[in-house]
Amino acid sequence: MSRSDVLVDADWVESKIGEPGVAIVEVDEDTSAYDKGHIPSAIKIDWKKDLQDPVRRDFVDKAGFEALLSERGISNDDTVVLYGGNNNWFASYAYWYFKLYGHSNVLLLDGGRKKWELDSRELTTKVEPRPATAYAASDQDSAIRALRDEVVSSIGAKNLVDVRSPDEFTGRLLAPAHLPQEQAQRAGHVPTARNIPWSKAANEDGTFKSDDELKELYGEAGVDFSKDTIAYCRIGERSAHTWFVLHEILGQANVKNYDGSWTEYGSLVGVPIELGEAR
Amino acid sequence: MSNEGCGAPAGGFTVTADAAGKEAIVEGHVTVGGAPASTGYARLRGSDDEFVAEVPLGEDGGFRFFAAPGEWTLVVLAPGGVREERVVPAAIGSVTKVEVAV
Repeated sequence: MSRSDVLVDADWVESKIGEPGVAIVEVDEDTSAYDKGHIPSAIKIDWKKDLQDPVRRDFVDKAGFEALLSERGISNDDTVVLYGGNNNWFASYAYWYFKLYGHSNVLLLDGGRKKWELDSRELTTKVEPRPATAYAASDQDSAIRALRDEVVSSIGAKNLVDVRSPDEFTGRLLAPAHLPQEQAQRAGHVPTARNIPWSKAANEDGTFKSDDELKELYGEAGVDFSKDTIAYCRIGERSAHTWFVLHEILGQANVKNYDGSWTEYGSLVGVPIELGEAR
Repeated sequence: MSNEGCGAPAGGFTVTADAAGKEAIVEGHVTVGGAPASTGYARLRGSDDEFVAEVPLGEDGGFRFFAAPGEWTLVVLAPGGVREERVVPAAIGSVTKVEVAV
C-alpha cells in the first residue's frame, strides 16, 4: 500500500462525481455539515449513529454493517471515496472501518471537507439516494484492531503511539480543547507511549504531509519501524488518522488502531498510567 | 449532537453556566468584508506552534474552544486564501472574546 493507492485529490473526485461504481461518502460526527452542503452525489454516514452499536460500546456487527451499506446503496465492487470534516478524522475512522470489514477499494480525499471548502469547490444540499444493494461484509480483520489486553501487554514491547495533544498526553486535559472536559476517570498516557499528535502528520489545509516528512516525523519521535505499532487517542478516530498514515500511506506492516483508546484505558482498574512527558 | 467524540461541531459547544465557571474558554466571531464568515475554520496553536484544536465556523462566523489556561495562537482560515492569526490568553473561569474582522 502506498500514497497513490489510497489518497485522491479534489480534481480526481470532481471528475468522478456521478460515475457508476463510485460512491462518494461524507463521514462526520456532526451530520449537519452534510446537510448544509456536500460534494455533489455524496451520501452520508454518521460515525456514531451508523457505525456504533446503539447499546454496547462496540462497532455495529457484520450484519449491521451489511445492512447499512446495502441501505445506502454501496456494493462490494464500488470504489468508496471517503471525506469529512475535522481534517478527515472521522473519514479516516470510516476508512479503517471499511477495511476492518474487508471492503477492498476504499480511497480518502486528501484534505477532506476542509480543503474542498477552502478551495471554494461546489457543495450542494441536493440528496441523491443510491439504489439499495445486497452488501456482503467479511469478518472483522483483527490484524488492524487492538483491544485493551493487547495494549497492556504491549507496554515496553511495541510502538505505542499516542496521537492526542501534548496536554492530553501529559494529563493536563482529558479531552481536546474544543470540548468540555469529561470522559476517562484518569488522565495521562500508557507507559512507554510516544506522543506524536495526529496534527503533525497534516498540513494546515488538512492534506497529509509528504512521505519523507512523515517518515522523519515518526522516526525522530522514537517509532521503531521494525516493530509492531498500536496507535490510540481518546476514542479512536484521531488514531485512525495516524493508522492511515502509518499503514496505508507509509505501508508499515502490523499497525493497529486501539479504538477503545483513552476513554477505555483511562477508566480501567489497575493498569499502569504515566503522567507528564514521555520517558 | 454528540459530545463524546473528538469532533468539531460548528461554532463549538454551548457554554453552560457550570462549564463557564470551570473552563478556560476562548470564543468569538470571524467576519470577512463585514459579513459573518460562515465557511471557514478556527484553530488554536500552543506556544511552540503545537496544534491544539480546530472548529469549523458557525453560521454566524462563531467559534468556541475549551482551552487549558495559558497563551494561545488563534488561526483563522477561510476561502479566498484568508488566514489570520491572533495571540489570545485563556484563564479558568473566564471567557476570552476574540473578534476577527478581515
